[in-house]
Amino acid sequence: MEVLELKDVKAVPDIIHPYPDRVKSEATPLVIDNGSYNCRVGWATEKEPQLIFKNLIAKPRKERGKKDGEPQVGNDIANIEAVRFQLKTQFDRNVVTHFEAQEQIFDYTFTHMGIDTEGAVNHPVILTEAFLNPNYSRNLMAELLFECYNVPAIAYGVDCLFSYQHNNCPPDGLIISIGYHTTHIIPILDGKADPVNSRRINIGGYHITSYMHRLLQLKYPVHVNAITPSRAEELIHEHSMIALSYQEEISKWADPDYYDTNVLRVQLPYVAPANAPGLTVEQQKERKRELARRLMEINARKREERLAEDEEQLNQLLAVQDLLEEGETDEFDQALKTYSLANEADLIKMINNLQAKVERTRQKIVAANSQEENIAMEEQKPKIKSSLQPKDQQDFDEWIAGVRKKRQEILERRMAKRQRRQDMAKRRTAAAQERMRIISQLARKEKRDDDFGMRDEDWDVYKVINREGGDSDSEVEQEKLMELEDVLRHHDPEFDGAGSNVPMVPGETHQLHVGVERLRAPEILFQSSMIGSVEAGIAETIEFILKLYPPEQQSRLVGNIFLTGGPTRFPGLLERLNRELREMRPFGSSFQINIAKNTNLDAWYGARDFGLNGNLPEFLVSKKEYEEKGGEYFKEHSTSNTYTRSPDPLPTVQAPVTSEQVIVEDAVVDVEME
Amino acid sequence: MVNEEVVEFNKKSQPVYKNPIFQQKFRSTSATGKKRTWRSLKQMLAQERTLPWPAEVVHYSSINAPPSFRPAKKYSDISGLPARYTDPQTKLYYATAEEFATVRSLPMDITAGYLALRGASSIVG
Repeated sequence: MEVLELKDVKAVPDIIHPYPDRVKSEATPLVIDNGSYNCRVGWATEKEPQLIFKNLIAKPRKERGKKDGEPQVGNDIANIEAVRFQLKTQFDRNVVTHFEAQEQIFDYTFTHMGIDTEGAVNHPVILTEAFLNPNYSRNLMAELLFECYNVPAIAYGVDCLFSYQHNNCPPDGLIISIGYHTTHIIPILDGKADPVNSRRINIGGYHITSYMHRLLQLKYPVHVNAITPSRAEELIHEHSMIALSYQEEISKWADPDYYDTNVLRVQLPYVAPANAPGLTVEQQKERKRELARRLMEINARKREERLAEDEEQLNQLLAVQDLLEEGETDEFDQALKTYSLANEADLIKMINNLQAKVERTRQKIVAANSQEENIAMEEQKPKIKSSLQPKDQQDFDEWIAGVRKKRQEILERRMAKRQRRQDMAKRRTAAAQERMRIISQLARKEKRDDDFGMRDEDWDVYKVINREGGDSDSEVEQEKLMELEDVLRHHDPEFDGAGSNVPMVPGETHQLHVGVERLRAPEILFQSSMIGSVEAGIAETIEFILKLYPPEQQSRLVGNIFLTGGPTRFPGLLERLNRELREMRPFGSSFQINIAKNTNLDAWYGARDFGLNGNLPEFLVSKKEYEEKGGEYFKEHSTSNTYTRSPDPLPTVQAPVTSEQVIVEDAVVDVEME
Repeated sequence: MVNEEVVEFNKKSQPVYKNPIFQQKFRSTSATGKKRTWRSLKQMLAQERTLPWPAEVVHYSSINAPPSFRPAKKYSDISGLPARYTDPQTKLYYATAEEFATVRSLPMDITAGYLALRGASSIVG
């Protein structure tokens, strides 16, 4: 039985890369693939991106009396779970919306690329953006890059189009790009993307991961905190796959043997308890007795000390009295003074008091001793009982049967209680009606002689009408049940009740069984209804898009179906899509599905190719153009969005009043919608 | 200690390549002294829709996937197996009688969690 250990990979902080002179002097383009999962950054002249980090910021919460700490970015966050609730991203779905966060990401990026030129980042920036990125978002991005970092020029492109280009795909094709938040299906005809017939499914890797996360949390409520999003992500990245035929695959899991051989056992971190964690009932009792005895000993010692003290004083006073009787008045007066007494009468009174006190203490000691004996006697009683061995097998059987019966009774009582509780929750059951009857009777206004509560039985009414079913004595019951089960486990070979199967393997209780979930989580790409989305899945959307074209173009599109984006690495996705396409395409027609060489990085490689291309200057928007045409402006190329100028002058950034009004209105709408 | 000092230092000094004047403009606080709020994607799209675009222009919001026309398959909430039954009390899907017993013994927060996961927790639906 193999158990999988989680890797819990920790992020390694990025180094600050050197800033090569050649790069600096030649103003080499900086390529940034700004994805909603990872951000990849590198010089266009490099083979690989120098920086790859999670596009996240952890902003430490403001604590009183402390200055707010430095926000951590990307790979600086060593343990992402520790700051899970302080994480921020600049993205809303796949679009950058929060530009303060984007600014912090850029700070991190440029600093780690080693840029040290004063007042400007002297490199053209090639930046990826969402397909059909809203002009508003691009406007703010341009403002940030041009005005805050003084970059000389920017070129924009779409990640999956870059990836398509990098894989030298023919001019016709159908891109299926699965990202962290969205999935795009984009038809390409004659080398140009066709946005009119493109579609976006708002499901991506993030949804798969969080679905897995919640499924496991609900399955193992005990380990709710140990099941972290990053662990769910690990399971998704390394142990999940897409079923060729989902219905068939999951039906197999109903078979226990199949389950046992195929389930993935995942070990959560587990600390073996130093010794037996809970004390048995017997041990607890022993400990209590021990405590009581010790307490009694302490009391006895105290009493004896007090007795000795009092006797000592009494003796002294008696000696003083003797002095008087012997006629030595001088010494007697002095002695009286030392005891701060006025005269003989006081002395006698004090002696009497002390005598009485000593007598009382003695009596107490006697009483305590006899009590101790009693306890010792009591202690012996159970011993006698337990030493009483069953005389013959029949007696023993009878006794075991009795214990079993008692246990069964408690269980039944419990079931009945649970049943009543359930019935009570429903309206039209006898239990609920009985409850209502009692309540209404109690509530009836009868002023004369209301003596409810005088008798003890009256209080039982509360137990009856309590929705929880009067569980006040359940603890005692539980204790009793445990005791009985303990006895049975000890003496009854047939007993196999609850709690008898104590795990043999240490940490088995900390193992997660991940079975159907490995197929179930990624399946939401095809059946989004599983997470309550009404959108069509990938296959259905492909079919929908293909139908928008005449048959001749359809076959041009399916001749080159191109997969890119991290989640397309799921094992089985290619086969599944093959099956789905065979179902939707005419019989005997051909189609071809290809996958990007590197589903994660090809977008960056494509953007780098674009940066090395001699035509790059044609597509760069210079700062001058930005000032003339506004931040939303960009130059189109084969891997970019299509530019349409916003018809009205955009509400400028400097008009916070209007933008706030918009926000308020939207907020109201939100509330009404929900 | 050294680390803290470094952090302090970094915080005060902006990276050299940044334009120091830019800050006030970009992060302008509104009249009420509140920090600038950024439009969410939803608000961006709503604003985009209000503009008089030429008819042929395609927007972010116009390429949403079509609704699914196939009936949603039902899977047991707790096991993921194809589910044939619905518990009328908790509204959870289940596949077998044993699962039904499990469903009935689940506490409220877990059943609610399953429903929310399936997006079936809305009162209207």
